[in-house]
Amino acid sequence: MSSPAPNPSVPRANAAPFSLIDADVHNYPNSLADLMPFLPARWQAYAEQSGLQLPGVSLYPKVFAAAARRDAWPPSGGKPGSDPTFAAAQLLDEWSIDRAILNPLVAASAVHNIELGNALARAVNEWTAAHWLDADPRWRGAIAVNIRDPEGAAAEIRHWANDPRFVQVLLLARVHAPYGKRAFRPLLRAAAECDLPVGIHFGGGGDVPITACGWPSYYIEDHTTMTQAFETHVVSLVCEGVFCQLPDLRVVLIEGGFAWLPGLIWRLDKNWRGLRSEVPWLVKPPSDYIRTHFRSTTQPMEEPDDPQHLVQIIDMIGCDDFLMFATDYPHWDFDAPNRVLPAAVPEAMRCGIFSAHAEAFYGLD
Amino acid sequence: MASIELGDLERFVDGVAEPIELSGRALVVVRRGNAVHVLRDRCPHQGARLSDGHVTGYVPSCRPGADISIERPGEIIVCPWHGWEFDVRTGLSLCDPQHTRVRSYATRVENGRVLVEID
Repeated sequence: MSSPAPNPSVPRANAAPFSLIDADVHNYPNSLADLMPFLPARWQAYAEQSGLQLPGVSLYPKVFAAAARRDAWPPSGGKPGSDPTFAAAQLLDEWSIDRAILNPLVAASAVHNIELGNALARAVNEWTAAHWLDADPRWRGAIAVNIRDPEGAAAEIRHWANDPRFVQVLLLARVHAPYGKRAFRPLLRAAAECDLPVGIHFGGGGDVPITACGWPSYYIEDHTTMTQAFETHVVSLVCEGVFCQLPDLRVVLIEGGFAWLPGLIWRLDKNWRGLRSEVPWLVKPPSDYIRTHFRSTTQPMEEPDDPQHLVQIIDMIGCDDFLMFATDYPHWDFDAPNRVLPAAVPEAMRCGIFSAHAEAFYGLD
Repeated sequence: MASIELGDLERFVDGVAEPIELSGRALVVVRRGNAVHVLRDRCPHQGARLSDGHVTGYVPSCRPGADISIERPGEIIVCPWHGWEFDVRTGLSLCDPQHTRVRSYATRVENGRVLVEID
């Protein structure tokens, strides 16, 4: 359990030698009341009559309330991540972050009523635009969608595609089926056609156990085994031939870790040599599709005892621009820009991770 | 090494991590009864202010399925970000005391006044 050495090249405030992009920040409505102005009249009446609450997915008690840093509760009294002014001060100003991508974790897809789920996703996006993107030009948005309705999700993506402040489509990792399944294809096609990456983010739930072997007992297991879901989506998206049909589709794995990728790549490539005829649309080794179409955010940073092993893992992934820095603010497993990368990470790699990779991947100006 | 007075013992609330600045150093003070502990106010992991964390007790190791207890109330400070635990008496990490610690400063209480040794 060694600690990463402080990185003097990225001071805590100002004077960073290069721009800093945070590829994963969370904005939260305090309650459904915050979304009510953005719901159609029919769903406002429905929510008032039924006492509908903001849908969320929280399966285990977290280390701290709201899974948040204990210092992230705004003085205004709302939830962590609910106050754009406080978030801008505590995150963007304090760390001199130039641009940050907001991923609103409202579980519109947890609602079984398709029309209501779609209305909630639209309301989340309207709320993000009005309360966050309009408030500070440093924020960028992710489009919330209802995955229970892939056609509706596609329509939602196309609705926002001309607003350049929205830079990706947001999906959650734990869902009822792998994203390569054909049912999801309309959603993915819309993202590809609109030149928007699809971000698959830590979390979710749905109608199936959260691990491949059922329900674990503890939050430490919940958090650690999240990689299973990410692995499943990577393998599914490749093997189902999604990238053969949608060669422009780009996917970013958010908060899923990355140290597991080399082993997965080796195993999948090896299996492809013997099982290629089962998936004959794969005309290249699976690793080729992964390196071409996937990227990953850094948080929660892998922290091997020997920091040099981190550099080796990045090298084993085999893609120079694979990683993009993220803090996960306001969550408890926040990564601090000045501590997240050990001194063993070379300067050129550091610059790419902190800004250049995300600028290129998201087309940020 | 100099003894610096921090004020009356009663100024500090039992079980509350209080930040202070002393000689340009950010410190956190934790009172437990008539004892006062002073640590550097910075987690060695990613630099969070420990004074934004909370003070609690120690959950000792036990067999799987055994009753889980909590002991030594007020002697453990928990980092507000990643939940790393430190012994307020020594600054040592509970998980990795060999390699991970927060700097601690010697203190004493004389005639109801709290003093800390600062170099």
